[in-house]
Amino acid sequence: MHSTRARRGGALLLTAGLAFGLSACAISDGTSGGGGGGDDKTLTFWSYYQGTQADWLAAQAEEFEKNNPGVKIDIVKTVGDQQDQKLLASVATGDTPDLFINNIVVDYPTLVAGGVTADLSEYWDDFADKDQFSESATWTTDDKVYNLLPFTNLIGLYYNQDILSEVGIDSPPTTLDELQADLEIVKAHGQYEGIALSGAPTVEGAWLFAPQLLGQGIDYCSFEGPEVDAAFDRVETWAKAGYTPQATATWDQNDSWQQFATGEYAFGINGNWQLGNAAEAEFEWGTTQYPAPEGGTSVVYPGGEGFGIGANSDKKDLAWKFLEEAVLTPEAGESIFTIAGSIPVRADVAELPAIKDNAQVQPFVAAAQTSGSWPKNENTANIQKALGEAVSSVISGQTSAADASAAAIADIKAAIEDGGGGCS
Amino acid sequence: MSSLVTETDAGRPTGRSALSRLLGRTPIWFLVPAIGLLAGFAVYPLIVLVRMSLSDVGPSNIVGEWSFIGLQNFVEVLSDDEIWLALARTIGVALVLLASNFVFGFVGASILSVGGRVTETVLAVMVFVWALPPIVSGSAFKFLLDDSGPINSALDAVGIAPVSWLSSPDLALWSVTGIIAWAALPFSVLVIRGALMAVPVDLVEAAALDGAGYWRTQFRIVLPQLRPTLGILAILTVLYAFKSFDFFYVTTKGGPGTTTNTLPVLAYNTAFSGFEMSTGATIALVSMLAVAIFAVPYIRAVRREEQP
Repeated sequence: MHSTRARRGGALLLTAGLAFGLSACAISDGTSGGGGGGDDKTLTFWSYYQGTQADWLAAQAEEFEKNNPGVKIDIVKTVGDQQDQKLLASVATGDTPDLFINNIVVDYPTLVAGGVTADLSEYWDDFADKDQFSESATWTTDDKVYNLLPFTNLIGLYYNQDILSEVGIDSPPTTLDELQADLEIVKAHGQYEGIALSGAPTVEGAWLFAPQLLGQGIDYCSFEGPEVDAAFDRVETWAKAGYTPQATATWDQNDSWQQFATGEYAFGINGNWQLGNAAEAEFEWGTTQYPAPEGGTSVVYPGGEGFGIGANSDKKDLAWKFLEEAVLTPEAGESIFTIAGSIPVRADVAELPAIKDNAQVQPFVAAAQTSGSWPKNENTANIQKALGEAVSSVISGQTSAADASAAAIADIKAAIEDGGGGCS
Repeated sequence: MSSLVTETDAGRPTGRSALSRLLGRTPIWFLVPAIGLLAGFAVYPLIVLVRMSLSDVGPSNIVGEWSFIGLQNFVEVLSDDEIWLALARTIGVALVLLASNFVFGFVGASILSVGGRVTETVLAVMVFVWALPPIVSGSAFKFLLDDSGPINSALDAVGIAPVSWLSSPDLALWSVTGIIAWAALPFSVLVIRGALMAVPVDLVEAAALDGAGYWRTQFRIVLPQLRPTLGILAILTVLYAFKSFDFFYVTTKGGPGTTTNTLPVLAYNTAFSGFEMSTGATIALVSMLAVAIFAVPYIRAVRREEQP
C-alpha cells in the first residue's frame, strides 16, 4: 500500500517535473561571464561566431590586447539560437556582457525592448570615421543608436556555369521570370536539379522568399495584394514542376549550400559567407544578384551580426574603444572580408582592389547599396516565422498557394499588431 | 536502560511534544535537502510558470513588472486551432511510441532475457544508443533520410522511388516519430527485461507442466506478471512523447509547414523564437494538463490492481 502510494506520488511528481521542463528554461539565468563586475580591464564578449568569423574575432581581440597592455578580451562562446534568451536573462541576473554580437534579422528589436543594449549615440556622434558608414550601419530606435552593423551579409544567386553551358543557357538570369525559364530548360534536360534554397519554416525560409516582393516595394509593413498571391503562386509552380525539390521545405541555408556544392544543381540562393566555400567547388561557378521580380528591382534584406554594448556594463568606454579600434577600422573591414567573406559597410574599404576587382563579390556589394529595411517591431521574429511557415507549407504541398498567401497576410498583420503595431 | 526510555516505551507522558517524539523517531531531517531542492528547482519555477501564464510577458517586460491578465492567455491559446492540431500530433506520437515500446520492447526483452555474450554485446550497444545525445543521432538520421541520402539510395538500387521522409507533409511526423521510437526502444527493452528476469521461474515451470505452450505461457502467465511494470512504462512513454522536442528541432524544426508542430515544439517556438513568453508558458501548462489527464487514470488503475 505504502509502496503504491509512493509510486503514485513519484509518478505524479515526475509528470509535473517533465512537463514543466518544456518551459522551465524560460526563466533560466544567463551563462557565467557577465560584465557587471570583476576585473576593471577585462571585457566580456558574448559571441556565437563560428569558423572563420570566430578566427577573425579572436585575432582582433589579440591585436587589441597587444595594443592596450593590461586589457583582456574574454570571448565567451554562445549558441546563436539561444543568444537572445541568454541576453534577456542576463539583464535579470545583472550579468550582461560588456560586448556582444546579435543577429540583427531577428534580435535587434527584442534586445532593445528588453533593455539589453546600451545607447551608443554619444559614442557614435563623436566617432571620427562615422561618415564612412552608410545609414544602414547604425540601428536606431527613437533616434538613439543601439547597434552597429559594420559588415553585412546578403543573399544572391549562385550558378553552376558548367551546367548552364551544357544545357545551353548563355547568361545567368536577372529576373525571376528569366530564372523560371532557365529552370524549365534545366529540368527538361533531365540530368540536373533546378535550384537549391532554404524553404524552412523559420526565419531563413522567410529571408529567402521576401526578395520576391521587396523589389516591388512590398515589405512586411505592406504585406498584401495580388503581388503576394503571385509570389506564392510562383513558389507553388516551382515546387510542382520539381524545380525546387520537396526537401527544400525543411532545408536551412547550410543544407541548401551543401546541395548546391554537390554540382547537381544549376542554381542556388545563398549568402556571401559561402564565397570561401565556393572557392573549393569542383565546377565553374559565378554569382549574380537575387533576380528581380518583373517590373521591379533586386532588393534583399541585409543580414549579419550587429555589435552592441551591454546596458549594464560598467566598462562602456573601454568597450567602445574596442569597437573603435578592432571592429570599425578599415583594417578590420578588410580582414573580415578576406578571412570570412563578410561585406564591409565602410565606403573606403569597399573601394579596396581586393573587393572592387572581385567579380564574384560585386553582386553582394551592389546588393548592400539597395538593401531593404527591417520592420521596427519587437515581434519581428514572429512576423518572419509566419512567412517561413507559409513558404514551407507551399513547397511541401501541405497547403495551396492561395491558402498560404492568405494565412501569411493574416498572420503577419496579427504579429505586427501583437508587437505593438510599430512597423517602419 | 534510562528511565526516559522506560517511560516512553510504556506510552506514558514524557514531557515532550508529539512533534518532538516524531522527529526523534524518524530521520525526517534527512529529507530537508531533498525538499529544499524540490522547492527550489521544481515548485518555485512551477509557480513562476503559472504566474507567467496569467500575465502578459514579452521581451520588453520579462525583467520588471508582469501585468496580470487572468485567463486571457488560456482563452487565446485554446481558441487557436494550432494547439489542438499540435495536441493531436503529440497524441499520435505517444500512441506510436506506446505500440513500439510495448511490442518491440517485449519482443526484444524476451530475446535478450537469455544470457550469453551476444546478449551482453547487444545490451551494451542498446545502452550506447540510449545514451546518444539526440542532437547527434538526430543529425545522423537527417543525413540518412535526406532525399539523396543513403536510405533513398538503397531504395533506388532496388527500383523503389525515393521517399521524402522529412519533407512530405504526410510522412514527416511519422518519420520523426520513428526516430524517437528508435531512440526510446533500448529503455523499454531494459525495463521489460528487468521485469521478465523477476518473473518467478516456478510459475513458468508450473505452466509448462500443465501443458501450456510458449505463447500461452507468455500471454497468460508472464504478461500479467509484468502489468505493474508495463503500467509505469506506459506513463513514462506518454511523458516522453509529450516532452520530445530535440529530434523535431534537429530534423524538421516543426516543418514542413506546420506538420511536425507538436506541443513541445509549439511551446518552444512560441516562447523562445517568437518571445511570447506568457503564451509559451500557457502552452506548456496545457501540455502538463494533457499529460496529467492521461497519466492519472493509469496510476489509479495500477494502484487498484495492487490493492489487496
